[in-house]
Amino acid sequence: MNTLISRRALGALLVSTGLTLSLPAFAQNEIKIGYNADQSATGAAELGLAGLYGFQAAIEDLNAQGGVLGRKIVGVVRDDAGAPPKSIQNMNELIDNEKVAAVVGPTNSGNALAWLHIPQQKKVPVISHVATATDITARYAKEAQNYIFRVSMVDREQLALLTAYAVKASKTKKIAIIADTTGYGQAATKDLQEILALHGITPVGIEKFGPKDTDMTSQLAKLKAAGADMVLSGSLGDATAQVLKSMEKMDYYPGLLSTWSSINTPLVNIAGPKLSEKTIFAASTTEDANDRAVALNKRLIAKYPNMPAFVSAAQGYDAVMLIAAAVKQADGTDGPKLQQALENLGKVQGIIKLYDKPFSKEQHEALGVADFHLAQWKNGRVVKVDDAVVKGLTAADLKR
Amino acid sequence: MTAFLQALASGLALGAIYGLIALGFNITYATTKTFNFGQGAFLVPGSLVGVSLLLLAAGKPHFGNLSQQEMTLAAYGLATVASVVVVGAIGVALYYCAIKPFVGAGGLNWVLSTIGFGIIMQNTALAIWGPASIAVPSPLGSEVWRIAGAGIRPQEVLIAVVAVAVMIGLDIVLRKTRFGKALRAVAFNPQAAAIVGINVETIVILAFVISSGLAGLAGILIAPITTASVFIGLGIALKAFSAAIVGGLTSPRGCMLGGFLLGVVEALVGLWRAEMREITIFLLIIVVLVVRPGGLMGARSVEKI
Repeated sequence: MNTLISRRALGALLVSTGLTLSLPAFAQNEIKIGYNADQSATGAAELGLAGLYGFQAAIEDLNAQGGVLGRKIVGVVRDDAGAPPKSIQNMNELIDNEKVAAVVGPTNSGNALAWLHIPQQKKVPVISHVATATDITARYAKEAQNYIFRVSMVDREQLALLTAYAVKASKTKKIAIIADTTGYGQAATKDLQEILALHGITPVGIEKFGPKDTDMTSQLAKLKAAGADMVLSGSLGDATAQVLKSMEKMDYYPGLLSTWSSINTPLVNIAGPKLSEKTIFAASTTEDANDRAVALNKRLIAKYPNMPAFVSAAQGYDAVMLIAAAVKQADGTDGPKLQQALENLGKVQGIIKLYDKPFSKEQHEALGVADFHLAQWKNGRVVKVDDAVVKGLTAADLKR
Repeated sequence: MTAFLQALASGLALGAIYGLIALGFNITYATTKTFNFGQGAFLVPGSLVGVSLLLLAAGKPHFGNLSQQEMTLAAYGLATVASVVVVGAIGVALYYCAIKPFVGAGGLNWVLSTIGFGIIMQNTALAIWGPASIAVPSPLGSEVWRIAGAGIRPQEVLIAVVAVAVMIGLDIVLRKTRFGKALRAVAFNPQAAAIVGINVETIVILAFVISSGLAGLAGILIAPITTASVFIGLGIALKAFSAAIVGGLTSPRGCMLGGFLLGVVEALVGLWRAEMREITIFLLIIVVLVVRPGGLMGARSVEKI
């Protein structure tokens, strides 16, 4: 009996060793890039889905040019369903089993913060293409090598742009803050207060509401009484929709500025198409921002007619392009070398812009406030805001 | 003044939601001295089943967004009936799984079993629908009605009208009909009720079906305001339970009064400081329980030995 088992075990060992030995030979012709993001479950899933379309389009383009270093690029896609445990599992699987060179993702900041230590310990670069929490790139900033990069919005930076607009657009300089009581909302409130202080402004009101509240008329009544003509909202898209609906009830429409979560369709679905046009939010790019964006959007819409969030498609696309450039520069997919290459890239053409030294040892954000646009919903699509206030914004206004 | 009126209107609208859900606690408490602690989770299939049926009828997958054109009053009415029936049927399962083994046995095992049943149901819904919320257009349109400067939505008025109608209905059923008399007989003394020929178990099951059906009704009614989602029920149900306690668990009128009272207090305190809302509400509950342990309109219970 014992002999039988050991024979079987030996057989299995031989087969598995054979497989392992044959794998590197097989993989030499491929470079795998992982994609780990929510594409199905939470309110932000559509950002993850659009990000995937951009990710795939970039891989198509690279392979059409013969790949990188003569090797084909392969995307390995995992859906984390917005759940941190699933996201952690995906990350281990992508790195340990799939042996990806780098990972693009995730959608939700909470998921990133749950697994950041994994790529950091296993020395696999990650580019966050959707999640915005400031801490994502900052957590390992003091380590010898920080493996976490980002091509997306950063909370502090987008709030700086929103505040700059509010200060410029406000006639009375009476600016108020409204945010939900979640960690996201309260962190935004703190940032907004600090940024307003840099402008020398004390908000005339700071209001809170529960994340599931549907009626904010009491809070808005106080802001109205305080004379606020600009309101900064640090909340997720669904909550901003409820703020708009409460504004409609009161027929009180101050300028409402919100974070890029308003780019999600829940805002339009809950507030309705007309009302949703009444908030301006930050976006890294829009489908009409430049010729490359127009072309990519046209190409993706032809394939995925329902794709709403072009912005994360562009960010997903650019993340892959930056990884490809780094692989070329590092002449391979060795993690530490790839990390070094990312920190020392030259010019890389992306959809959002021409990146010129996008990252350095100290700077892991490819995009900053100067790259961001203000956008709003118009007829069911996100378009750039280009009013007199935006035109009047200068670099000096972007205090952060 | 407008701000005060607006708070009043918003508070009454919110209170109607609490009251409607609170009514679901009333009928089972009246018969078995138990109620469904998982009532919040019962709102979830209430809203999602109805909305999914509307989506399927419109030829879309069960998960997505309804357009205003697809939401007619007739379709909404049918979806509401379907929600009430489906969630009412779940009430039968609730009775057999979570109530029957414990009823009349004393102790508080039913508290945990009903909470557990609710959690099982909520997670089943999570598996079917996922965590994202579905925006639901109101069949009455989205424009705001204005009364002296204060805005209120037609859907909120609809909820208030339905809630008051259900309250009156329950009141009449409990006081005037044979079924109501049987209910009260069962509540008073199940053994005696059985001796006089009342099928106690049928009456109790019916009470749970009505209670669950009410949660189904509430779920689909509030969906256009709160969106339909797996996580919508808990917070609202806790407030509704508070409303039932404040108003009086034994009285439909008390449940409704408690709902309106809580909604208005919440909105008015919100005019002052948002973070004081919950504090005020739960202080109010404690005060009411000290002064009138049965709730504002509840029967004064006299323990007989």
